[in-house]
Amino acid sequence: MNGPGRFGVLAAEAVQDAVRRRIVAVIAVVSLLSLLLVDSCTSCGSGSVTINGRAADLSSIAGWTGALSFVVLGLWGVVLAGVLASEHLAQTLADGSATLCLARPVGRGSFALARLVGVLAIALGTGALLLGGTASLVHARSGLALAPAASAGLACALGMVAVGSLAMLASLYLARTATVLLVFALTGVIATANAFSLAGRELAGFLGAVDRFGPPLASALALGVSDWIPQLTLRADPLEVSLRLLGWAVAGVALLWVAFRRLEISPDS
Amino acid sequence: MIALELSGVTKRYGARTALDGVDLAIPRGSSLGLLGPNGAGKTTALKLLLGFVRPTAGEVRVGGLDPSEPASREGLGYLPERLSLPGRMTVGGFLRLHAKLARLTGSEREREVGAVLELTGIADRERDRLAGLSKGLRQRVGFAQALLGPPETLLLDEPTSGLDPIGVRDARDWIRGARERGCTVLVSSHILSEVEKTCDRVAILHEGRVVASGALHDVVAPGESLEDAFVRLVRR
Repeated sequence: MNGPGRFGVLAAEAVQDAVRRRIVAVIAVVSLLSLLLVDSCTSCGSGSVTINGRAADLSSIAGWTGALSFVVLGLWGVVLAGVLASEHLAQTLADGSATLCLARPVGRGSFALARLVGVLAIALGTGALLLGGTASLVHARSGLALAPAASAGLACALGMVAVGSLAMLASLYLARTATVLLVFALTGVIATANAFSLAGRELAGFLGAVDRFGPPLASALALGVSDWIPQLTLRADPLEVSLRLLGWAVAGVALLWVAFRRLEISPDS
Repeated sequence: MIALELSGVTKRYGARTALDGVDLAIPRGSSLGLLGPNGAGKTTALKLLLGFVRPTAGEVRVGGLDPSEPASREGLGYLPERLSLPGRMTVGGFLRLHAKLARLTGSEREREVGAVLELTGIADRERDRLAGLSKGLRQRVGFAQALLGPPETLLLDEPTSGLDPIGVRDARDWIRGARERGCTVLVSSHILSEVEKTCDRVAILHEGRVVASGALHDVVAPGESLEDAFVRLVRR
């Protein structure tokens, strides 16, 4: 069996290990409840409503509802990847079970990336269920196109890779609670900065730097589904945002690989 | 040919020196008992051989390769002192995973897993979850995964930990069996009598340094037991 063969064995075990954890059942329940909420929010597909005395076509509101649902669920998927990653590698080191695998002819980098694959399998599966379900609902009920959903889904997947790999990297040096708090805090800060920037606000200082140089988690999702709202013009270059998110995903994986190779492992700690 | 080698190896953890200029060479097919009081550096020596930590100075070689290379761990079986097993897996699932990582495929894998299950006396536990096993049974599972392959080199850290007297005797037989197959064996242990019964050479570590090494009859003076020699050397 060659190197990629062993990676496949480790990745399959990492996926099974993630599935064996009880949190997967919780994720499944929360995901189904989220879909029920989206089902409720998108149930009015045609007709008109009056807002502040002005008649509005429901199809235009459907675009906003669909886009907002997509961005929120996409960000939830990204956070989920970070939360799962915060223990999927670190736990095996803490309880010593990683050492038996690493005593085999397995590369350190391969082991870390296999654990990341385990996390991403769960996160991407959940994302596919949530975003796929949402896209199907808004398409069937409001006639919204599926292509923007695919574009935003890809952005969500890249965001999961970036946040998952960086959270896994952080978990090698921080306690799990600290890593989870970091995932929530940074995703929240990034989403806020992206939202203000897309709305046309000039951001300076820390938030400005986060928006310009950080992983554009919310921007990429919003730009993906912006075609659902024809009257909306977002202030961002979709290509630049996509490439920056891709860069963060690649950098996160590379940093994890390098850091785990350099880490000193204590089997008895 | 040298299977395991530490040349002038020093390992520091911050201000603490775990190993200080250690030289050890274990020829292929031989068995070495690594002895020493708590904190002498025995486990650090094993971690260096497995590539878990890097030496501060000196060189470590496993089968002529640097331990940072995964290929250095081809044909290597390892049993840690504090064995941690993934509790949600079954005994059979765990052994099959390690058989795959040890390059065993298809029918060869099933044959080998069956063989180590029989050898270590846990064939009837194949479908049990690891979390439900007693300490002694878990140690048998640990031995079973270390013996998969079968290995060309065995690194055993306190191998009889948690075993009852029958288990201790069985473990001794498994180690002897591996030696008879030509396996290189390194046993780190506090239990001097076990080392005496399973190894032909010993190295005694004290405060990170090798204070004695060689064949048992070279280290133990006439009329002296290994325990007497150990106490004499570490109190010197």
